Amino acid sequence: MGFDIRRLLDRIRRGRTDGSGDGERTLRTDGGTTSSRGSKVSRLRHSDAVQALPFWLPPALLVGLFVYGAVSWNLLISLTDWSGLVQPDYTSLSLEMYRQMPDDPSFIAAFRNTVVLLVAFTVVSLAIGLVLAILIDQNIRFENTFRTIYLLPMALSFVVTAIFWSWMYNPSTGTINVFLSTIGLDFLTMDWIGNPTTRLAAIIFALTWQFSGYAMVVYLAGLRAIPDAHYEAAKVDGASSLRMYRRVIVPQLSASTTSAAVVLMVFALKAFDFIFVMFGDTPGRSADILAVMMFRVAFSRTEWAYGAAVATVLFLMALSVVAPYLYMQYKRGDL
Amino acid sequence: MATLTLENVTKRFADGDDEIVAVDDVSIEIDDGEFLVLVGPSGCGKSTTLRMVAGLETISEGAIAIDDEIINDVPAQRRDIAMVFQSYALYPHMTVRENMRFGLEESTDLDAETMDGSVERTAELLEIEELLDRKPGELSGGQQQRVALGRAIVRDPAVFLMDEPLSNLDAKLRAGMRMELQRLQNELDVTTVYVTHDQTEAMTMGDRIAILDGGRLQQVATPLECYHRPRNLFVAGFIGEPSMNFFDATLEGDELLLEGTELSYPLSASIREELEGETELVLGVRPEDVEIAAESTDDHAFPVTVDVVEPMGNENNLLATFEGSELSVNAIVDGMRHVEAGQRYAARLPESAIHLFDRSSGRALHNRRIDDEEKLLETRV
Amino acid sequence: MTAAERTESTSSEGRIATTLETIDSQRAALYAVLLGLIAFYLSPLWGGLTTAFKTQTGFVQTTPLAPPTPEWFTLEPWELAFATMQGGLVNSLLFVVPATILSALFGSLAAYGLTKLSWRGQIGILVLFLAGVFLPYQSVLVPLRQFWSAVDLAGLLAFAPFLANRADLIELTVTHTAYGIPICTILFRSYYKTLDDEMIEAAKIDGASAFGIYKRIVLPLSMPMFAVTLIYQFTQVWNDLLFALVLVTSRSNYVVTQSLNELQGSMAQEYNIQMAGAFIAALPTILIYVVFGRQFAKGITGAS
Repeated sequence: MGFDIRRLLDRIRRGRTDGSGDGERTLRTDGGTTSSRGSKVSRLRHSDAVQALPFWLPPALLVGLFVYGAVSWNLLISLTDWSGLVQPDYTSLSLEMYRQMPDDPSFIAAFRNTVVLLVAFTVVSLAIGLVLAILIDQNIRFENTFRTIYLLPMALSFVVTAIFWSWMYNPSTGTINVFLSTIGLDFLTMDWIGNPTTRLAAIIFALTWQFSGYAMVVYLAGLRAIPDAHYEAAKVDGASSLRMYRRVIVPQLSASTTSAAVVLMVFALKAFDFIFVMFGDTPGRSADILAVMMFRVAFSRTEWAYGAAVATVLFLMALSVVAPYLYMQYKRGDL
Repeated sequence: MATLTLENVTKRFADGDDEIVAVDDVSIEIDDGEFLVLVGPSGCGKSTTLRMVAGLETISEGAIAIDDEIINDVPAQRRDIAMVFQSYALYPHMTVRENMRFGLEESTDLDAETMDGSVERTAELLEIEELLDRKPGELSGGQQQRVALGRAIVRDPAVFLMDEPLSNLDAKLRAGMRMELQRLQNELDVTTVYVTHDQTEAMTMGDRIAILDGGRLQQVATPLECYHRPRNLFVAGFIGEPSMNFFDATLEGDELLLEGTELSYPLSASIREELEGETELVLGVRPEDVEIAAESTDDHAFPVTVDVVEPMGNENNLLATFEGSELSVNAIVDGMRHVEAGQRYAARLPESAIHLFDRSSGRALHNRRIDDEEKLLETRV
Repeated sequence: MTAAERTESTSSEGRIATTLETIDSQRAALYAVLLGLIAFYLSPLWGGLTTAFKTQTGFVQTTPLAPPTPEWFTLEPWELAFATMQGGLVNSLLFVVPATILSALFGSLAAYGLTKLSWRGQIGILVLFLAGVFLPYQSVLVPLRQFWSAVDLAGLLAFAPFLANRADLIELTVTHTAYGIPICTILFRSYYKTLDDEMIEAAKIDGASAFGIYKRIVLPLSMPMFAVTLIYQFTQVWNDLLFALVLVTSRSNYVVTQSLNELQGSMAQEYNIQMAGAFIAALPTILIYVVFGRQFAKGITGAS
């Protein structure tokens, strides 16, 4: 090549000028250079910050209004004494609603149940998820099928799973009791969701069924990220399988544990739909959680201000889980 | 077709509360059609300089102009430049044709036919016509490189910018592409700024090279001038492979005492006059100028022991140690000559080939003598 | 060494000490456990499915896990449930599809603005989006109801009766879009961070504007992530009950989760109809999950 480059190039250039009509350079006509006039304005207009604005601002406004505007408004409402069908009165604000809480046995019960649900559900789901992930990671056949089935419940609505589990827990013909009788554990059969002592545990069990697959997926990703050399090294050192997992592999999954735990806790705080479908808005003191209580107080009893106060407590609980997590991620530079 | 001028260009980055000066007061004038290579070690500010020209970084101070128009505030989109990236940065979802058309579509008002014509002729020029309907993922590294080049050429810009465009190619392809790029640039005659960390590319490709270190411009000159007349220690050490031998030396009377040895190197009066009274010096001599002989013949030759011999075929690279010291010297001798490791020889540092630098500032005080100066150092433009 | 080889050798460790037979029995035990777990994870669905095909006497007299015998077999529960939930299915489709598309699109735009155009203060905005992912909806319910009752969408849309009658659904669309944006932004952002910056810069130098780069480079390259995001959002919005409970007031606008909830309340003892209803409501998400399982898994893990 090379000998006819100049000729080719001339043809390229000629083609250009012919195409646009005027003999000079054919920069886009709306362009125009702005170096002399208003260079500050121009620089600002072309800075990335300004160029980025139209992309993130509309969604940010929507989120700002609906998330942060609403949370603030909710806080404001919680400071009033608004109830009934009238409009709220924002002139006299007080912490009265929050002061009521410690004396409200139904709040105390709901708060306690929420914490129990949060901790028990998260811990059990993580444990089951970890076991599932390790089992799946044994180079099994049909790995995809197994994984798909374990994760399937998560694709279902709480409304659907609540209906399935009310049937599962049915005292006379439900699968749970039928199964227990079949294997000779008749004495264990009971009205799982009718009996207040087992109700919360039954809910946690069902929720674990629905979300342990999620923990499995997160752990599986964590396991796959561990270099093979670590398995090798542990083996060379003579560690047994169990020991290897306990001493070498599991400690490396702490990042997976943290992120899965945070998400599971948030799921637990949102477990409203499930309980609402199973029991309506009055699951009884043994299974009441703040999310359900808030709905009942505000929308059934129209005690809006108190409902808003309960909602604020719920929000603060979520924040206390998420804020340290986000801060940690920020510190690690993962944001 | 344009000149490119950088005038006192400075770039500062905020680093937490600190400020990092990435490019410090750089001024270069690049002539119409010139091929300028910006070279320096990594982190020297060469890429930042290029990105400021491209409009991808703001300019903290100073001005950049194409012809007589200052483009500091002209956004990258309207600067009439084209750039070839290290990663090629092809659009993976578009065919080669669409990749090459993209710039024309976005920056000109040409009709479709004219654009297709330009794309096809440019593809012809680069011998990639057969690839026009393929996607970048289906191309080899070398082919992608050509497409990236074609994407820049088709726009017929005022200035070409190239950011280490050959560094992702394997060594053999790189050598071939180096020559082709040069020839292409020569024919296209477009003002080009080419960034590389590879001093071989800098030496072989540039009309002139601009050497940067720590954000500061060290020297702008033709490759041979940088080689033979380095302005300072940094340039002397950076240009040339293997690099120049340096010895700390102190001037006493009419002799240089080489530090760490008992050796003294007589210096003629004409050279002493150039030293501006400095006595703490660095003596520099290129390996190919070191003469290896069996016996010491004059007072510029010193007994050495050859430690290592690297036969390269056309030449032998030697590493030798001055007798009675730890000080070592690199030398290159003809490939046909037999030199044995472990044997004693004499290394002669001819006075005509030495460079002398001020040790504290690094400034060159004396450069080697060149016989036919005019002819050797004239610019190739 | 690949993961496959690694686990192979892990399971066969200590080959000298143990015989191949014990390895095989270990393997067999592993599969037995995995299959047992499958039974556990599928039993609520299987029990529901069989029950939905049984008559009233059928499901009372047989165990839920037993398949329906011809004697008890019936399709009636499905017909009844479908008749009750028909309207809910249509309403859900009407608002879930636009809400899903809008939040994915907004998320993609926001993520582009927050990653590919660099400027100070991105992290601040990003944290606001991130925190939104974890918000318990209860903490916005009362203001949400106040807001939408103050807006009087039905009145504003009076000129178009078709829309005015479905004001509740439009409210749901807007609300779900707003609360879906954070997670969509996070998902897209994680993807955009992997796009080659030099490619964006090349487009810039080629003369493309910020919007041109989005439209011609980033958007076409985002299609795999759109699949992930759309699937995730569709599942989330389709499955939600809470917002509908608060925002949908007129019965004609009941969404599918609401009508299923109603069905369950009104047919408390007719488990076969309940189960059929549950499957009808779950069918779209189950189908999507089965077809796009990989994208679904990517979506849920992207949240953490």
